[in-house]
Amino acid sequence: MSSLLTVYAFDELWSLVNIVRYGFQALQHRGSQLYVLCTVKDGVTCYEDDDVDISRHALDHVAIAATYADKNGIKTSVVSRDGVEVAVVTDRAWRKLPDFASELIREVKRCRNVEEAFKSTLQRFVDEKDSIPSIQILTNNREVIAWRTPHGLTPLVLGSYCFDMAIVSSESTAVDILGGDVKKFMGAGEGVYISRYLVKTFATSISKEPSLCMFEPLYIARHDAVVDGVSVYIFRKLLGEKLAEHLDTEVDVVVGVPETAIPYAIGFSHKIGKPFELAFVATGGRRRSMLLSDPFEKIIAVHLKMNPVKSVLEGKKVALIDDSMVTGATMKTVAQILRFRIGVKELHIFIASPQLISTCPFGIVNLDMKTLLAANLSSDLARDYLEADSLHWLSREDVDTVCRKFSLKLCGRCFGVNFLGG
Amino acid sequence: MKVLLVGSGGREHAIAKLIRRSLLEPRIFVAMDYRNPGLEKEAEDTGGGWRIVKTTDPQSVAKVAEEVSPDLVVIGPEEPQFHGVSDILREKGFVVFGVSRRCAEVEKSKVFARTLMWKYGIEGRLYFKAFRDLSEARKFIEFAGDVVIKPARQAGGKGVKVLKDTQAYLSKDRQEVKKTYVEKLFSEMEHFVDIDYKILVEQRVEGVEYTSMVITDGDTVLPLPLVQDHPHAFEFDVGPETGGMGSIQGPGWLLPFITREEYLKTLEIVKKVLDVLQLEVRDRYVGAFAGQMMLTGIWGPTVIEFYSRFGDPEISNLVPIVVNDFLEILDRAASRRLAGAKLEIDEESVTIVKAIAPAGYPDNKVLASNHPIAIDEQRIRELGCETLYASIEMRNDGFMYTKGSRVFEIVCVGKDYEDTYKRSELAVNYVRTLDGHPLFYRRDIGSKELLSDRVRVAEKVRIVYRSRAEKGLLGKMLVWVPGEGIFENPLIGFVR
Repeated sequence: MSSLLTVYAFDELWSLVNIVRYGFQALQHRGSQLYVLCTVKDGVTCYEDDDVDISRHALDHVAIAATYADKNGIKTSVVSRDGVEVAVVTDRAWRKLPDFASELIREVKRCRNVEEAFKSTLQRFVDEKDSIPSIQILTNNREVIAWRTPHGLTPLVLGSYCFDMAIVSSESTAVDILGGDVKKFMGAGEGVYISRYLVKTFATSISKEPSLCMFEPLYIARHDAVVDGVSVYIFRKLLGEKLAEHLDTEVDVVVGVPETAIPYAIGFSHKIGKPFELAFVATGGRRRSMLLSDPFEKIIAVHLKMNPVKSVLEGKKVALIDDSMVTGATMKTVAQILRFRIGVKELHIFIASPQLISTCPFGIVNLDMKTLLAANLSSDLARDYLEADSLHWLSREDVDTVCRKFSLKLCGRCFGVNFLGG
Repeated sequence: MKVLLVGSGGREHAIAKLIRRSLLEPRIFVAMDYRNPGLEKEAEDTGGGWRIVKTTDPQSVAKVAEEVSPDLVVIGPEEPQFHGVSDILREKGFVVFGVSRRCAEVEKSKVFARTLMWKYGIEGRLYFKAFRDLSEARKFIEFAGDVVIKPARQAGGKGVKVLKDTQAYLSKDRQEVKKTYVEKLFSEMEHFVDIDYKILVEQRVEGVEYTSMVITDGDTVLPLPLVQDHPHAFEFDVGPETGGMGSIQGPGWLLPFITREEYLKTLEIVKKVLDVLQLEVRDRYVGAFAGQMMLTGIWGPTVIEFYSRFGDPEISNLVPIVVNDFLEILDRAASRRLAGAKLEIDEESVTIVKAIAPAGYPDNKVLASNHPIAIDEQRIRELGCETLYASIEMRNDGFMYTKGSRVFEIVCVGKDYEDTYKRSELAVNYVRTLDGHPLFYRRDIGSKELLSDRVRVAEKVRIVYRSRAEKGLLGKMLVWVPGEGIFENPLIGFVR
């Protein structure tokens, strides 16, 4: 998981140090293990750090940046040739990146038009088996391209601040937090060229059948984000309502695993007419447990965010909602808390996605076949492992129905199907 | 009828096209600063002629007028008005459609225009503070909040800095920009010796912009249909402010996102301003007048600024839809016989204007200038669109060159936005530079997406201003300073 961010101030009066810092903060939920920042200072320079304060280098009025949930693989490449320098930053590891960057700079030298050079270079890297990630480039001439992956797996928005800035971001939240307005949801394979005297969007012929990664609206994006024109919060609430149709018993309260699952639980509660309660309080700020790869770190994060509000749950029949279940480790922990520390009367677990049964062929979400709960345990076994009275998942058809309300088409490869909705 | 048209750009070309169809069979003579090939052609086609003069120099223009001896003089741009061209021509006995120097103050001095609105309590006025000297402005800007910094004099639509400042965490960065910008703007304004105040700090507002143009002889006010301009240089309202990258109009007198009530309120504001302006400067207003408006949550119809002439490119939208004799209307206004005149338009149609500009516009005139350029006007005509020549010069080598601003305006008309948009998008392809210098235009102007976005924004601000109207809060911005009291001052920022 990751995010891209471009800030282009048309007026040289701006310093972007704080602007990039707050942009990063608005994107941190998409990864905060690694920050990358490229700017122009006697040529293109890229910095990498695990600290958000990396933005202190953004002293120019143009910057491209990225945040990542892991430090693996090649995501940044800076090349130079005869006075031309180009930084290329992708939103996920791409083994062809060094080749792409060298080819790109050759094309820039040849045709002297960055947009054309970018398009023709892309053509040479089309690969049926692989998917090109979303890409940002910055030249020493302060020309920028931000381009959305041809499958449209990860989103990209174009925004602006008054007459002064163009902002491109993986998620609308960064545009909001920087005081801008979202102007366009970039389509799959669509890019924007930004320079001091020209801004234009362009399509590329390599667009595939576009489908957004299901995890974007399901888990990755913030509740306040709008992804491809769809309000993430409303989408989550509707999935929660759909999930409530699977309820086949009486419950007293509805609770969500904090904090991504809260809108699902609200939707669920509205649908069945039982109260939604805030059941857990976090300690030490928000941490996204799913983003952590070290299992021990992950458990620590889960434990820190799960101090229960005992009085609302004691002796109750509880519907516990979560957005997804990968290894089941979080759910197991929560279930243990509810069972042993609180003593709930009944525990019914509802997952707002279909069963995760396959790895992600695009490497957007890090899934390991042998640790996927749904791929390895039967439904009954999973239920018993979690010590739940019942365990329910949304069906793929349920997701299709909700997606169609938003004319949304999602990639469902990890759920064992090519597309959801559409 | 002999008509002398003063001015060199796209607006004047639009006026020429509007008047040449008249039953008065005009011979159009043009006094322009450079050889605009479009204006040359209108002049030659109608059996008129053209002269190259400095249009801001009253004596030179008067000399041309004396040679041509026109029945009517039409002054297009604001700068000749600021320099008293209309006044000297009237003194010499010519019939002039164009505002006197004193009346043109309403456009030239933004402080004058704002003060007028406050003095007479006209609705749609914004809070502002004007500065003559830098040190005073510097001090004020330390505490300024969500504001716009503007040159106090009309400077070709340039120099406006909008600094949305509603988030305390980025306030210091914006304050730095404000401070540096104030310094910069002061030094840029220094060469204008014809104004008192140099800069203006104004309350920032949000909403949808539109232009309300009228023709008046000082008594009768004849409204033109509403038009919406697009000031951002680049698509999707991104990038620096320009003089306007294109405009939309129709169907009819309103725009799809402005209600009749809002239109009438706008006209009421425009008429009131015309009345008090004439009272204040003790002169008769004869010519075009326009309110550059914004529908805001603060007021509903709100005045951003005024034009003492037709908007450019806004007037271009009228070229294909004016049904009756436009020249007769201008002539009646100029000779103060406008009462009873009527403007008829094709109310079933919509128009889309797209401006085409060379890369470099609006901030780097050198980069944008001197590029040879060609256009296939015939193909554009076949698409049902017209071409207006703007910042473009015919040189002795027989080639046309860019002059640094918008080169052409393509005007398309049709039964609805969808169809008209499609044709306008095809039409823009018939312009190219001969040296490969990039041109740009805005694909989004007239598109369904942008139009529905405007409708959405207008609806949002409409809810706000209507609710404020019910509570008697229109235009008010209350600030409570504990221990001191309630003030009306939206210019103050987070840091006090």
